[in-house]
Amino acid sequence: MGFVPFLAVCLTFEFVPIFFLIRGSFLDKATQSYTLAHYQALARTVYVNSFINSIKISSLTAIIGVVLGTLIGYAIFRLPKEGFKNALISLSDVTTNFAGAPLAFAFIIILGINGVITQFLLKYFNYELYPAFSIYSFSGLVLAYTYFQLPLMVLTIIPAFVGIKKEWQESAESLGANKIQFWWHIGIPVLTPSLLAGLTLLFANAYGAYATAYTLVESQLSLVTLQIGFMIAGEVRHDPGVGMAMSVLSLIIMGLSIVVYQIATTRVRRWAK
Amino acid sequence: MTNRRTSTFKKARTHLQLWQVVLIALFIFYMLLPIFSTYIFSIATRWDRTILPEGITSEFYQEATKASYFSSSLRNSLILSLSTILVSLVIIIPTVYWVNVRLPQAKSILDILMILPFGIPTVVLALALVQVYNGTPLGRTPQLLIGAVFIYSMPFMYRPVSNAMRSIDALTLTEAGQSLGASTLQVMIQVIIPNIFSGIISGSLLVFATVFAEFTLTKLILGARFKTFPLLLVEYTRINGNIAAAFSVISFTIAWLISLLILWIGKKGQGSSTQAPTAH
Repeated sequence: MGFVPFLAVCLTFEFVPIFFLIRGSFLDKATQSYTLAHYQALARTVYVNSFINSIKISSLTAIIGVVLGTLIGYAIFRLPKEGFKNALISLSDVTTNFAGAPLAFAFIIILGINGVITQFLLKYFNYELYPAFSIYSFSGLVLAYTYFQLPLMVLTIIPAFVGIKKEWQESAESLGANKIQFWWHIGIPVLTPSLLAGLTLLFANAYGAYATAYTLVESQLSLVTLQIGFMIAGEVRHDPGVGMAMSVLSLIIMGLSIVVYQIATTRVRRWAK
Repeated sequence: MTNRRTSTFKKARTHLQLWQVVLIALFIFYMLLPIFSTYIFSIATRWDRTILPEGITSEFYQEATKASYFSSSLRNSLILSLSTILVSLVIIIPTVYWVNVRLPQAKSILDILMILPFGIPTVVLALALVQVYNGTPLGRTPQLLIGAVFIYSMPFMYRPVSNAMRSIDALTLTEAGQSLGASTLQVMIQVIIPNIFSGIISGSLLVFATVFAEFTLTKLILGARFKTFPLLLVEYTRINGNIAAAFSVISFTIAWLISLLILWIGKKGQGSSTQAPTAH
């Protein structure tokens, strides 16, 4: 009984629309018959490229985020002062939520054609950043996405370091293991589920991103979320069926990430016991 | 031999090491530079020819507050955030309470339902809603947007409320209340809600911060029909950079005040920081 209002809202605004979206991706609007035409249309270069770009930027910023975020997380975890450590964790908490338009715009201020760093490099190093680099391009988007990916990984990995007990390190050392051996045989295997969870979390986080990309690259770079956005707004005269097919593929990609994430976090919990 | 001994001795005392200092310094630099730059840009007279701004002015804030949609977009953002919080409270609290007291077996189902929104990119949710409800009375209305934003933000309300509910013995409290003659509704309002209040506040603030900054759903479901603050900001990034910077500063000042409140309440109650993907 107490479940009913909640389920009703979920049905109205989540499950029913998603069901019709999936159905619509297989439906020919004119004849109301089932078809794979929308999925076949995805083979066009512009759509293939948008999937390649989206997967490329999500994987790249997820890997950068996991590698650097883990190192930074470890550096923070090993800090002797509790207060400074907590301040850095709070900083990560705030900055990972600093995204979308304000973030994109901040990067235009520092790395746009007249940006602070662009000017600085030109004046003191006589180095012209443009046109080799552009904040309105793939590389610019990587920098902006890394901004919210890094702190998210820091927040994800610090609890995992807490799980590596000091006694393990001490007993490994007393048995003659050096630092590399300890990390290779004990540290990294214990961290693996958290690293995997972080990787999928960051991947999904970047894949679904829209506002940052919309402000920064709009139509200069084709991404799945931007394409779907164009189809809703009607800015480009596309068949909405193609947008639905793209959405269904995105749901599958996101779904797989969430499943891996769930399995990995269950493993993490097992270590924590 | 002596050398080795001193080095192990040092390691045991956990000294700050060089790599640690460098890494953390770079991290702080990367995290703060965009924020500081925006602050400075919003008060700089001109900052495209020199490293430091040529002068300081408050004119962009004056212009920002005079912008034609400034107050209406702030009002719209507030309406959207507050109504979402209200819907969220009315739906999530009874559900969490019900599951804890009457149906503990359904807990894992609820947990999964609360993870699902993270698996749906906001553009996909927007497309689905627009496709289904266009042409119906609900199509392209603020009510549709509130529903969409509720789905997208419900995990932020659920987590703190659910954690708070788990930390109290809701079943015993309910039985005690009922044995004294109180109805379920009375128990919930007079006993349960006061006991999970810190969770409710944390959840509400998280929802507020998320919805106040929401751009994707608002733009794609309502667009120009219902201009919120983030929409105005994006519009100005293409019209006037300095005013856009002033809008940015206003928007993240609001977000941070709320983060500080969350941290402060989190310290008083139980910690409940966000560790979930948000829409960017």
